[in-house]
Amino acid sequence: MNNNPLSPHIQIYNWHISSLVSISHRITGVVNILALTLVCFWVWILLLGNENYQVIFNFFNSIFGKLFIISFVWSYSFQILSEIRHWFWDLGYGFELKTSRITGILVILGSIIITAVLYSMRGILL
Amino acid sequence: MVQINLPKNSEIKKGHYYKDKTGSKNIRKVNIYRWDPVTEENPRIDTYEVDMDNCPSKVLDLLNKIKNEIDPSIAYRRSCAHGVCGSCAMNMDGKNGLACTKPHSEIKGDINIYPLPHLKVLKDLIGDLSTLYKQYESVEPWLKTTKKIDNTEHLQTKDDRSKLDGLYECIMCACCSTSCPSYWWNGEKYLGPAVLLQAYRWIIDSRDEDRKERLKKVADELKLYRCHTIMNCTNACPKGLNPAKAIASIKKMLATG
Repeated sequence: MNNNPLSPHIQIYNWHISSLVSISHRITGVVNILALTLVCFWVWILLLGNENYQVIFNFFNSIFGKLFIISFVWSYSFQILSEIRHWFWDLGYGFELKTSRITGILVILGSIIITAVLYSMRGILL
Repeated sequence: MVQINLPKNSEIKKGHYYKDKTGSKNIRKVNIYRWDPVTEENPRIDTYEVDMDNCPSKVLDLLNKIKNEIDPSIAYRRSCAHGVCGSCAMNMDGKNGLACTKPHSEIKGDINIYPLPHLKVLKDLIGDLSTLYKQYESVEPWLKTTKKIDNTEHLQTKDDRSKLDGLYECIMCACCSTSCPSYWWNGEKYLGPAVLLQAYRWIIDSRDEDRKERLKKVADELKLYRCHTIMNCTNACPKGLNPAKAIASIKKMLATG
């Protein structure tokens, strides 16, 4: 039995909205932990002297910094929306194929919209 | 463990090409996963050109046609041909289903046929389901009651009976379990959607007196909670059932007591 081959799995299986959102939920979860750790690190270096503020300021205003913030905002909004979807599932709602497909699309679209709105409001918020 | 790549002996090679000999103008290419335990070779994909003018509507008809007219060596399970027995479960066009109920007209482009995913292959399209059957046995799928056998019926209200709808129809074809990434990575320990749906079918049966024990048995980090609501199971079920919902119902019963 050990010599029998394993049939192909992830290589051949079609992606559905639900599986796509599920794997993204996991990835954004990990990304958020890393990003939040970085935010904590920034707060910490501020305590070590106010000249450090300039370092952070320069980073946020670089292209890489802006990209980082946009990605983080997206990843965070995606995680929150997807988590809300999970709460409904935990209550026993939203398991019908059609419903789960619609809520999955809403999570994807919603996260993009929230990111765009927050980014366009950055002047007001900051 | 998550093992994305296939092991060395499972890598798929290019196989034979069977050209159409009928001269038909309505040809479709069918790619089929082949593996022969007699040879020491790796699995391969054989391609068959099939005359679709003389082929009935389902993927199983297509396989029968290939086996009867082009290549008799191809192996697959089939029995009832009416979506009742669950034998001809396989992966068609990237999705699990029953070959006997899946119309090939629904598939665009070449028709790709593989065995059910992430199983040890016995031959060609036949995967080994013995782990799944052992897991099925482990949930003790039979009525447990202290009621004495007195040759009368175990009565049930209409309402209680309706709780079994969407569960009793399961034919254990394994389309759902083998579509589930969690089951791919933890198939030895996680029970998988098919077995959990069956477990729930007995948990929710008003005639069964073993509900508490059944729930206790299934309440396990690996056996039950490896379900992350990926929903591939519900997407795959050829009978239109909802294993994801059944699993969530078990989780909810455990959470609410």
